[in-house]
Amino acid sequence: MIVVKNITKTFEAFKAVDDLSFTVGEGETAVFLGTSGSGKTTLLKMINRLIEPSSGEIWIGHQNIRGQPAEELRKKIGYVLQNTGLFPHYTIAENIGMVPALLGWDRKKIHARTIALMEKLHLSPDDHLAAYPHQLSGGQQQRVGLARALAADPPLLLMDEPFGALDPITRAAVKKDFKQLDELKNKTILLVTHDVQEAFELGDTIHLMDKGKIVQEGAPGDLLFHPANTFVQNFFDDQRFQLEVGTIGKEDYPALINAFNHFKNRQA
Amino acid sequence: MQQQSGKLLQQTLEHIGLTFISLLIAVLIGLPLGIFITRRAKAAWFVLGFAGILQTIPGIALLGFMIPLLGIGAIPAITALFLYALLPIIRNTYTGINSVDPAVKEAATAMGMSDAQILFKVDLPLAFPVIMAGIRTATVINVGVGTLAAYIAAGGLGEFIFGGIALNNTNMILAGAIPAALLAILLDYLLSLLQRMSLKRRKITLWSLPLLMLLCSSFYLLPLGYNTRLLAGFTPEFMGRQDGDIGLRSVYGLKIRTVVISDAVMYKAAFNEKLDVISGYSTDGRLKAFDLTVLNDDKKIFPPYYAAPVIRREVLEKYGELGPTLDLLHDQINDSIMTELNYRVDYLKQSPETCAKDFLVSKGLYRAPRNGTKGRVRLGSKIFSEQYILINMYSMLIQGYTDLQVETRTGLGGTKICFQALLNNNIDMYPEYTGTALLAILQPASAVIGRLTGNRDSVYNYVQRQFGEQFGLCWLAPIGFNNAYALMMRRRQAQELGIRTISDLTAYLKKTKV
Repeated sequence: MIVVKNITKTFEAFKAVDDLSFTVGEGETAVFLGTSGSGKTTLLKMINRLIEPSSGEIWIGHQNIRGQPAEELRKKIGYVLQNTGLFPHYTIAENIGMVPALLGWDRKKIHARTIALMEKLHLSPDDHLAAYPHQLSGGQQQRVGLARALAADPPLLLMDEPFGALDPITRAAVKKDFKQLDELKNKTILLVTHDVQEAFELGDTIHLMDKGKIVQEGAPGDLLFHPANTFVQNFFDDQRFQLEVGTIGKEDYPALINAFNHFKNRQA
Repeated sequence: MQQQSGKLLQQTLEHIGLTFISLLIAVLIGLPLGIFITRRAKAAWFVLGFAGILQTIPGIALLGFMIPLLGIGAIPAITALFLYALLPIIRNTYTGINSVDPAVKEAATAMGMSDAQILFKVDLPLAFPVIMAGIRTATVINVGVGTLAAYIAAGGLGEFIFGGIALNNTNMILAGAIPAALLAILLDYLLSLLQRMSLKRRKITLWSLPLLMLLCSSFYLLPLGYNTRLLAGFTPEFMGRQDGDIGLRSVYGLKIRTVVISDAVMYKAAFNEKLDVISGYSTDGRLKAFDLTVLNDDKKIFPPYYAAPVIRREVLEKYGELGPTLDLLHDQINDSIMTELNYRVDYLKQSPETCAKDFLVSKGLYRAPRNGTKGRVRLGSKIFSEQYILINMYSMLIQGYTDLQVETRTGLGGTKICFQALLNNNIDMYPEYTGTALLAILQPASAVIGRLTGNRDSVYNYVQRQFGEQFGLCWLAPIGFNNAYALMMRRRQAQELGIRTISDLTAYLKKTKV
């Protein structure tokens, strides 16, 4: 669905993104993982043309993104930011219904869609429809941010460290509600994060980035068990055991128990 | 004072009108300009710098710049006020929009909003409190600077303020200053209400606001007062004096539309046909320069203004040689000579010092300064050329004929200020006029005035005696000219309309009543 070819972005003398190429299939959740400064956010913002690449091409759905006006492109892409970017002077309802309103939906349809999304994300419409963002907690605000990005049912969702500003408990709760959304099943999602757990939890494909380049891309298990180089290996070492346990399937359990027993016997 | 109460309303409405017209134009231009420079950093530096410089120019100076370009009246006043209001509005718009949370802006862009949509749905609503603060600042500035509009015949509450200063009438100053202050507070408060309104109610109000502003501006255009064929310009001092505007109305029944204007500007304005009748002094050099003629005061409401030095008695007694020295000018200068001297200074731009010296030399009275150190005499003067010339003459005479040193305190604005300085021993002597002493300082009962007016000598004798008895001040011998208040018109126009006296003028206006 998304084809990125030889994308480079240079700021003055600094290469933020260095000749990247990759594809993302339809319905896939592609996670871009890396430390700060690895270029992942810059890359994400080039997808919806918040930043224009210095060179390279990007196609979404077989159309070059530069072939259409940026505003039209963006209305078909949902965007979630880390600090929500909710409009403080609009109510929750107005925030969520913004893109549909820009697209000219009729009011009843917007209202119905808003209520539906709020309920799916466990935001009580009675309490919050007419409230203002500052009246909500951080977790609730981020749910609104998600609802706002999903309101017009865009086929593509861009998320820039969406859960980063939340405390661990809230983060877990919001993530849980997010994963349960059935409409995500046929959406393509590009998620940027530095949280390894999150990457493994949500991603179909992980693109590990460093210094503007993709060091390795693949299924989570690939990066763990078949690291391309020492950088990849070291990246996951801190939480290796947790991640490996989370990644292996039930069918691997016997092999794991065997290996463990074998290890124990040798000790004895 | 009671006559002036009707004027207060007129002035307040004029003031509101001036404030709002200039504010409206400033918002119409400043707001889009502020939005524009948020997108161009280079332009921002230039625009903000320019508006900032405008603000540093003192109010009176800015008005002065306007006069040769735009004349007198409402247009230069509004232009000056508009320029003052620009900086707060532009700067606050710029700052307000730039202070919008970048995350919100990013979200708006990422949603697919166009630039215009971002401006109207995000930037302006969120920057509104800051923009409004700028408008409030501009309003308060305008109300304050607007008091200067009276200087150039644009009306407003400044008329009372200037008049009160010239006449040293504190009540009059307050009558202008307090309403101005209240107006500023009131407008600021009303605008603060708007600032605090919720977004929905605000939208409705914002549309009605320009209409309201237009309404307030229209006050200025309401034709209050007379609308006559001829337009008169009077100084603030003339407006308040018994022997000025008040006398014209009561004795002659003169009905003419009047604007208040400063002395510095009015002669040129008459010459340029912006005014038809002006108040002035019968020995003013500008009479000659601008080809104006004096209308005869046939009903004698302007008393004689015999000029003579007024001096503190103890100074006169302390330095015996001082009296005879000052009397050297007795009967040396008649009306036409004084007009000529004034003309040289005011129009030919000679310095008062040169003019004074030339005159003394021509009369054989000049002596080089003796640079004596016997004592010191302080001479004061009001703020017009005639006084400066006389003071220079006296100064040269004292330094040439005595061993006394001279210290001059020129530019004491107005009769009362000069007189108070004399009483309070800040100065020892200044040249005064008998008519002024009678009507502005002594202010005796009208019966007394009636008995005296018209007769040069009886006024002089009365004033001399009263000053001696009441204040311990002495009047020395008269210099010889009579600088009376006068109404004047362009000579040609007066000839065409057959107007030679003030009664002629009154009759003409009655005949051609609009």
